[in-house]
Parts: sequence; structure tokens; C-alpha cells
Amino acid sequence: MKRTLLLSLAAAVAFATGAAARDNILVGVTLGATGPGASLGIHYKNAFQLIPRTLGGRPVEFIILEDKTDPTEAAKNARKLIGEEKVDAIMGSNSVPSTTQIAQIATEAKTPMIALAPVALPHEKLGWVFTTPQPVALMMGAVVEDMKKKGVKTVGYIGFSDSWGDLVLKALKKHAEPAGIKVLTDERYARADTSVTGQVIKLLSADPDAVVVGGSGTGGALPHIGLVERGYKKPIYHNHGTVNREFIKVGGKKVEGAIAPTGPLIVPEDLPADNEVKPVASDFTKRYEDKFGEGTRNAFGGYSYDGYLLLNAAVPAALEKAKPGTPEFRQALRDALEDAKNVVGTHGVYNMSPEDHTGLDERARVLVIVDDGKWRLKK
Amino acid sequence: MSRRLLLLAVLVLLAAAPLLLPDFYVTLMNYIGLASIVTLGLVLLTGVGGLTSFGQAAFVGISAYTSAVLTTRYGISPWLSLPACLLLTLPISLFLGFITLRLSGHYLPLGTIAWGIAIYFLFGNLEILGKYSGIAEIPRLSIFGWSLGGGRQMYYLIWAVTLVALLAAGNLLDSRVGRAIRALKGRTTMAQSFGVDTNRLKIILFVYAALLAAMSGWLYAHFLRYVNPSPFSLNASIEYLFMAVIGGSTQVWGAIIGATLLTMLKEWLKDILPRITDQSGNYEIVVFGLLIVLMLHRTREGLVPYFSALLPAEKPVLARPTTPPLPARVQPQRGEPLLEVEGATKRFGALAAVSSLSFEVRAGEVLGLIGPNGAGKSTVFNLMTGVLAANEGEIRFRGERIENLSARAIARRGMARTFQHVNIVPSMTVLENAAFGAHLRGHAGVAAASLRLDRPEEALLRHEAAQQLDRVGLGKNLFDQASTLPLGSQRMLEVARALCADPMLLLLDEPAAGLRYLEKQALADLVRRLREEGVSVLLVEHDMEFVMGLVDRIVVMNFGEKLAEGSPREIQNNPAVVEAYLGSVA
Amino acid sequence: MSFNIALWLSQDAITNGAIYALLALALVAVYTVTRVIFVPQGDFISLAALSLATLQAGLVPGTVYLLIGGGLLITAIDGVAVLRKKKLKRFAAIALENIALPAVIAGAAVWSASRPEDILLQVAVTLAIVTPMGPMLYRLAFQPVANAPILVLLIIAVAVHYMLTGMALVFFGGEGVRTQLLPDISFQLGVLNITGQSLAVIITSLVLIVLLAILFGSTVYGKALRATALNRTGARLVGISSEFTGRLSFALAALIGAASGILVSPFTTIYYDTGFLISLKGFVGAIIGGMTNYPLAALGSLLVGFLESFSSFWASTFKESIVFTLIIPVLLWRSLTTHRVEEDEEP
Repeated sequence: MKRTLLLSLAAAVAFATGAAARDNILVGVTLGATGPGASLGIHYKNAFQLIPRTLGGRPVEFIILEDKTDPTEAAKNARKLIGEEKVDAIMGSNSVPSTTQIAQIATEAKTPMIALAPVALPHEKLGWVFTTPQPVALMMGAVVEDMKKKGVKTVGYIGFSDSWGDLVLKALKKHAEPAGIKVLTDERYARADTSVTGQVIKLLSADPDAVVVGGSGTGGALPHIGLVERGYKKPIYHNHGTVNREFIKVGGKKVEGAIAPTGPLIVPEDLPADNEVKPVASDFTKRYEDKFGEGTRNAFGGYSYDGYLLLNAAVPAALEKAKPGTPEFRQALRDALEDAKNVVGTHGVYNMSPEDHTGLDERARVLVIVDDGKWRLKK
Repeated sequence: MSRRLLLLAVLVLLAAAPLLLPDFYVTLMNYIGLASIVTLGLVLLTGVGGLTSFGQAAFVGISAYTSAVLTTRYGISPWLSLPACLLLTLPISLFLGFITLRLSGHYLPLGTIAWGIAIYFLFGNLEILGKYSGIAEIPRLSIFGWSLGGGRQMYYLIWAVTLVALLAAGNLLDSRVGRAIRALKGRTTMAQSFGVDTNRLKIILFVYAALLAAMSGWLYAHFLRYVNPSPFSLNASIEYLFMAVIGGSTQVWGAIIGATLLTMLKEWLKDILPRITDQSGNYEIVVFGLLIVLMLHRTREGLVPYFSALLPAEKPVLARPTTPPLPARVQPQRGEPLLEVEGATKRFGALAAVSSLSFEVRAGEVLGLIGPNGAGKSTVFNLMTGVLAANEGEIRFRGERIENLSARAIARRGMARTFQHVNIVPSMTVLENAAFGAHLRGHAGVAAASLRLDRPEEALLRHEAAQQLDRVGLGKNLFDQASTLPLGSQRMLEVARALCADPMLLLLDEPAAGLRYLEKQALADLVRRLREEGVSVLLVEHDMEFVMGLVDRIVVMNFGEKLAEGSPREIQNNPAVVEAYLGSVA
Repeated sequence: MSFNIALWLSQDAITNGAIYALLALALVAVYTVTRVIFVPQGDFISLAALSLATLQAGLVPGTVYLLIGGGLLITAIDGVAVLRKKKLKRFAAIALENIALPAVIAGAAVWSASRPEDILLQVAVTLAIVTPMGPMLYRLAFQPVANAPILVLLIIAVAVHYMLTGMALVFFGGEGVRTQLLPDISFQLGVLNITGQSLAVIITSLVLIVLLAILFGSTVYGKALRATALNRTGARLVGISSEFTGRLSFALAALIGAASGILVSPFTTIYYDTGFLISLKGFVGAIIGGMTNYPLAALGSLLVGFLESFSSFWASTFKESIVFTLIIPVLLWRSLTTHRVEEDEEP
């Protein structure tokens, strides 16, 4: 035991000496490409293979750590990245609990953070945290608007038994209730469940005008198929976590007509030519599919990429004030991120302000529908 | 360098670590400390006690959530929530222990797997626990207004708790209760026959481990200041178990070794794998699983033995008793009926191993019970000692019926036994094994042992053990590991252990088997001396010569029934016996 | 709750319960024969379903490499040992079993991948890929420590489960799949809508259970398995190799896991880690059967199916908690009715 201690002490002292300013920029990333969120995390991680290795013209190194979609592991990674590597900014992770953990640590350590998933903390606590994904409420707002157009009065909810299922329901309620739409059920299922018959029957007996599924990826298909098989013919809505190719592969004909909100990068081809996001989204989608195969486009890689774009936009201003590796630089980077205006990403246009650390507006959402085995822009 | 000095050096290093180490390593040390506390419980439970739990993370979670809710929602001070955490864990672990531990070994792991999963989903679905998003902004701990917010301040609290827990657990194992705990793994029959309530002890051990987990959970909540269900899932429990297995089973500090190695290994894999492959995360668990399998193929004892070898040897000393010696039992009047077996019958299915057997042992005599192989001697032995229950008949000890009493209750009444197949705890020293026999003559419990309040009593028990060992000729081997003794000496150790119980009736199950001629002589002398002291002896034996020269009376069994009874001379001349037994030998 | 709903839920319960029952039987078989609490049982479900889906997509699944790798490893370990003793014949047998057989299966997989229409071939190839993994696992992970205490075997089982899950993620990625086995046929039976898939599950499970009963009851292999389960040492003394029965029981477990995976994959989404949770429910069934009683384990699994189905209707948020808490009254009852502790296991 003593030897281990001595060794780790020696190693630690060696590490401790490298805290000075440097020329290149270090960005720490923690993502979970394994564990329960693996299906999302893999895409998040893939995007880093497409991200240029410069920020604002400066060389940048991304230190990417695996957190197994486990918040404790994510917290450990965050402390390692901040404490040991002295990163200038931190990005992560792909689940709400993990991201929340990292946000707490980043804020304490005064290191700017790009949150790649929503954070379960009030805005006052997020002084150093900037989020790339659309707030769930923004997305569910689009869903509820569509419901209003269709004259939907009641809606049934079925979602994952995890934080994502919680978030989607909360956002749905936020918009549905003022619009006079009643949420009739809160059914839950696990990604690994073999059957959702009980929940589906409950939904059917409540007979809502529409159903919202709070799953993600292929996991969203199970209740949809169950509903369709039991003869449910009214609209079924999903969320932006569901939009990928595998969902359709798994659901086949039965998920035809599924409606979901998502970012523009899923359907750049269908966007009008004057759409500001179109060029960035088209470019990223093309490069992603070139690298990872036809039809692999998804929202998650875009969140990582938009995080890069935000940093890229903010770094030049920060570089003017201080050198990377110093607390002054991190402070300047945070301030620059908060000032970031009109940063066009793959998901929308980011306009940060002290009041809004997400900075996305309606331009960041489109409704898509499964049409003939493809996600198409809903007209 | 002595152990004491080494310990001091480690303590100084531990105390200085946060002043020297960078932030991240302090954090890592905090995680190691938190995990060590939980793992320590598992080392006791699994490594020492041989019981496996997959529910430790659930206990950590219950405690962490309890403190989180109490402090965030009700504004209660974290220091007050600590007792609440422990008080909540207590009944839950008691209940779980009660329903699983009476059953055979695999029910605890399976039961705790199911319970671990159930509680995980419960955490995630309760509104008051913040559902899957968890509870954020749990308050910091503070002492007299001094905040323990940072990792460095928490470090001292976490490691103080870890070290105290380690010390207490070490004390516990080195005590009367500790010896009983160490016999739980595969030696429960033996332990019961010396009066240990093994079921109760298992439950105590389980609760002890659960409370350690709860302690860690409380620290976790106020160190990370955020709780959500995933750190308390089945996977986390499995990880704790891995730590216990890797670190090792028999020594309490295996917990720290296991927690340190596993935490470091994971960090190291995280650093090294991305250099080899793009898909770092995917291979991490593969490599991790592989290492565990390989390690268990090489060593089941974990890594503690390798570290133990590095430690300087310690010279054990036998503490002198400071209090008056243990009170001895008043032996019954010579000739008074001591043990009476009347019409005892034991059937296994259709086969009657013992049928309508009657005989008695009188106080102060040495009775031999003999018979050819398969005559039912061992079954009778088990009936008398409460290992088996008779189908019919009565067995009385000093007039009291005991045929339905447990082995433990019978031991309490003044019977002590040896085992046909040597049944000692191999990892304990000779002295500890012998002191086991005196279990019922001591009283110190878990708390007294952990706090070292049991020393005067412990000195008496050890002193007694040393005396009995001296008597059987093992006085020079007190501190040898019992497993290193030759078979003959192990048998003598069994006799010494039985004597430590200060019995009225000593039951010896084939004690001469495997003894050399001189050893047999010594054993016979010992038995004669015991008879003079008023101890009654029942000798179940195979070795005719040994029995004939030693006993007062003989009962001969054949096919589960009594064939003859009488003095050695009468038996030798009994034609039926000659026919059935002696004849076959000759 | 109307009668119709109860009927629908029961139908679902029986379909799922049948799968759990199959798994519970495999768990009991492996436990009684080898004393391994076979945590990786569920991984075969995922491996089989994902392999089948990959074949249907016209690709060769990564599990084939796992098979070949495992075979090479065993040949390296066992082969070197027999070569040292100059037993060439024995070496040839080992190489045949561990190199030639996986190679043939790999060939079949490549062939099958080129014929995405041939569903029967895909199923056969999937079974052929996954089943040999059972005995391979036994040889590599468990046989070297076959006499270790239950606890050590359990920890190894957990570690193996980690490895298999990790491999499945490497080979197949994190997204889920479904397979297409039968055309979507269904018919009405009263209010029940009976699908071909659910019928297939129930019938296949029943057939497999009957086959298992025959295997155990009347074949010489079954007798060897039962003998080993009853008395390991005794079985060895009469010439039943515990290595053989160990591999046989693992092959059985892998086969049942693969069959379950193939059966459930058309009507649910299977991820690389789905199998584990499914098999845990089989575990609950097996525990109800005391890990040793086959009929009770099957009935217990059915009970799990019902509990799951009805609780998903009444309180879906607490479904998992309810299903896994079921074990507590069962244990309580067992604990109150059991009087004697079992014999000590040698440490």
C-alpha cells in the first residue's frame, strides 16, 4: 500500500508542475459511448472526428474521456480534466444527470462549459455553462403548436423511465396546459423492456386525441408499434431524441407518419434555399454521412459540432485578453461565449446573453415526419 | 522497520497528501476513501464471512437520498441527517438479512440483486427524490462554521471515517465475535457446536456492512452534493464487490487496496485505451472483465497476500490476564446419570440409521461407543450434539430433554465435541482456534470488540486457550497458522478447543484416527487425567486397542442397534461382538 | 379493468412468461450442474438477436470473429498441452472442434449474408454461431476454477457478462434492432388478436421445454447432467466427466439464450444490453424455484410475466420495482418454511 501511495504521490507531484500558460488550447470532453446512453453517446463522439483541430486559428487539443453514461464517472472525468489537465473549456455529456454533475463542477472551478445535453439546474447556477441542444420546452412547443392546428384536446404520454422521460413530460405539460390540452396519462417503460402492452392498453382506454412518446432513438419505436398494432390511428408525436435512421429501420412501415421536432440538420435538403442554417447543416450532414455511412445523420453529432462552433466563435476575443491555460483566459472565454451573437450552427442560430445561455430560437426547430421510410420536413 | 513505524509513515503520508497532491488526485483519493468504506463492509461480509451481497450500492443510495431529502427539502443539518441515515438503513438491512440469510448461500446474492434493481427504479420514479434527474445542491458539511466544501477539506473527513472504520473492523476480527465471524465461511456446524448463533451473527454482519455503506452514502451526498439513481445501480454494487475480491478477503485493509487498485485501473484504462483504439469506452469494460477473470484464475485470495509479504513480520505476544481466571464449571457427582439415550431412532427415508438405541453415560466415566463401519455411530453422535433431530426417542442431559435442542443450546448445557473430519479454521492461529472453544465463556459483543473494550476478557480467553494447548502438547505452536500443523496435532487442537469450553461431557469423535503411536499414548493419558478431574468422556472410536485400554464401559453398535454393553473384558468375550465386529477385524 | 383488458394483458404475460421460463430453465440447469449462477445468460439473447439482424442486413456479424477467436484461444491452450504430451490424435480432435468448426460456421455466415431472403438459413446460422460460445465460455472462464466456491464462480460470471456486453457493443453499436421472421399474420380469437409471432414464441417455448424434459429424463446425456447435479464427486467416480457435463450445460444455456433472442427479436427492440434485464426476470423465476426445481422455476417465470404485464397497466412507473420486489415475499416464505441450514460448503 505504501508503495502505491508513494508512486501516486510522485506521479501527482510531477503532474502538478504543469499549470502555466501555453500557446495551444485544451478542451476536455467527457461522453458516454457505453452504458445506457451509448446509442446517443456514440454519435456525439463520432462528431469529434469531423471537428477541425483549431479554435479561432489556434491549435486545439480535445481530450476525450469516456464516462459510461454514469454521472459519478462523468464527475470524475470533469475533475480530472479541470484539475489535472487544466483545460480551457469542458464539453459534455450525453445524459442529463451526467451533464448536471459536470455543470456543478465546472461552475465551481470557474471553467467555461459547453453542455451537450440539458442541465437540471436553475439558470442562476449556470453562469459558466452554455448549452447547445434546444431546450426541450422549445421543441415540445412546436409539437403542441401542431396539435393545436389539428384540434387536439387530449394527449396521452408514454416515456422512458429515466431523466429524458421526465424532461419531455415536463416540457409537454408546460405548453399543453396553457393551450387547453389535457395530458391524460404518464406511462413509463424501460428501453430494455420486451413489451409495452400494458401501457399501450392503458393509453388506448384513455383514448387521447394524440400520443407523445418520450423515448429516444430506437427506444421510441416500441410504443409506437404497439399503438399501431392495436389500431390507434391518431397522430403519434416523438421528440428530438428519437430522430435517426435506426428508428425507421426498427419500426418499418408501422412508424410511417410519426411526427417529431428536431434540428434543421436532419433535413437540410428540404429546407428553403434562404434558410440561414442550411449551408452549415448541409455541410455537416454530408461530411458525417461520408465518414460514417449513408443515412447515419442524427441530431447528437450536431450538438457536439455546434459546441465546437460556439467555442470557435468565442476564442478569438478571449485570446486577445489572455493566454490559454490561465484563469484569465477561462474568464475571458466565458465572457466571450456569453457575448456570442449570430453563431450559425447545424441546429440553429445561437445568440447568447446573460439571461439566455442556450440562445436558440424557433429557427432551431423543424417538425419532421416519417414519409416513405425517411424523415422529411413536415410541410 | 516495525509495523508500528510503517503505520505511522502511512498516516503521515495520508495526512500530508492533500497538501502535496493536485486537485484531481485529492478527488480521486476521496472516491477511493468512499469506496473503501463500502468495500470494507464487503470484505467482512464476503471475504471473511463468505456471504455475498449485490445490494451495497442500494444501501449507499438509501443513505445518500435520505440525507439529500432531509437537508434540501426540510433544511435539517447534515449532522442530524447522519443518524437518520443510519437509523433507516438498520431496519431495512435487518429485514433483508432475516429473509435471505437463513437460506442457503446463493439466496443472498440473488435476493440482493433483485432488491438492488427494485430500489434503483424506486429512486428514479419517486417525485420526492427528484425522479431520474435527482437532487442537486445538497448543502456542504461544515464544522463550527468552517465549511467542508472543497475536496481537500472533505478529504480529511472521508479518510478519518475510513481509518476509524478500518480500525474498528480490524479490532472486531481480532476478538471473540471475530473468531466466530471467521468461522462462518464453511465452518458453521463447528461454530454452532461451540455455542455461536451463526444465523444471528450472519445478520449482524450484514447489518454492519450495510451501515458502513450508509456511512459512505452520507459522505457521498455531501461530497458530490448531487444525487441521482445511477451511482446506486446494480453495476455500482458489482464494482464494490470487485473491489473486495481484488483487494482480498481476509484482511480489512484489503478494502483499501481493492478500492485503490480498481479506481486507478479504471483511470489508467481510460488514459491508455484511446491510444490503442478509437472506441475506447467499448473496450474498457471488456479489458476490465478480462482482468478480473484472469486474476480469479490465479488467486482467489485477492492481492492482499502479495502485499502482506512486503510487510515486516510482527512478533505476537500473549497478553497476561489482569482479572481473576475464568470461573470453572462445577462437575456433577461421580456416578450420577449424565447423558441418557432412550429408544432413539433416526431414519433417512426408508433406511433406519439408528433404531431404538438406549444407553447412558454416567458422570465421571469414560464410555466407548464402538461398532463396525456404517453401524450408525456418527448418526448417534449427531443426534446427541443436536446436528440431527431424532425421529423417535428421548435424549436427556442431566435429566433435561435435549433431543429437540439446537447444537448451540446443547453446547450451552456443558457438552463439547471434536469432529471426525478435522474441523478447524485454517486461516486462524492455533491459539485462536483453541480460544474458539471458550466462546460461551466470554460475553463481549460487536460494539465492545470494535472499541477494544473486550481486552481483559479476551486476555482471559486466550490465557485459557494457551493453557489447554499446553496440556495437549501444542504449547509451542500457539501462533502458528492452524493449517500448517500435521494432522495428528490438528486432532489434538480439536481436543484443546473442546476443553476450552470447560465441558461436563466431552464427546470425542474418532480422535485417534491418524495419530501416531506416541500421540495416541499422549491422548490416552490426557483422557485419564480428565477423568480424574471429574470430566466425563464419550469416545466414539474405531481403534479397538485404544478403546479397550482406556474406557470404563463400552457400548457396541451394529446396523443401527445396540449389540452389547459392558466392561471392556465382557465385550471382548461377547460372542456376538466377536462375530460382528472383532471377528471381521481379525 | 374490463375482462377484455385482463385477457389482453394475460396474453402478453404468457408470451413474455414463456421466454422467462426458458431462461429460468437454462439458469437452473447451469446452476445445478456447475454451481455457476449464470449471469451472462441474457447476453446470448442480445448476441443472437443482433447477429440475426446483421445477417438480415446482408452483413457478417462480429460474433463470428468472437467464435473464431475463442476457438483459436482454446486450441492454443489445450492444443499446446496435448502436443507436449505428443498426443497428435487428441490435438487433431481439438483443432477440428475449435478451428474447423468455427471456420465452417463462419463460411455459412458469409453465405447466409449473401442471401438476405433465406430466413431459415439465417436462424440456423445464428444458432450455430451463438451455441458454441457456451462451451467455449465454460472452457475458458469456468473450467480452470470448476471447484471454486460459488461466490468465486459468481464473480467470474459477472466479469464474463461485462466482457460479453462490451463485445456486443463493439460489434453492433448502441442502437437497437428488430428482425423479421414471419410475415405479419394475425387472426382474431374472440377479442384477442393473436399474432403469428406470439404464437411462435409460445409454441417454440413449449416444444423446447418438452425437448428439455426428454433430454433430461430419458437420454444418457440428461442422466449425466442429473447425476452431476446430484453428486459431483459421485458422478466423477462413475466416469462422468464434470468437464463434459459443464460444457454440455453451457451449450444448452447458449442454445436456449440464442433461441430466446431469435424469438423475441421480431416483436421487441433488442439492444446490446437488453438480454441482461430479460434474463434477470428469468432469474426471479428461477429463484422462486429455489434455483433447483425446474417446474417451479417455469411457473415462477410465468408469474413474473403476469406481474409485469399487469403492473405495466396499473402502475407502469413502478413496474420494475414491483417485479423485482416480488422476490422478497418469496424469500420470506422460503425462509420461514426452511428449518435446516444446508451443509457447509468447503471454503
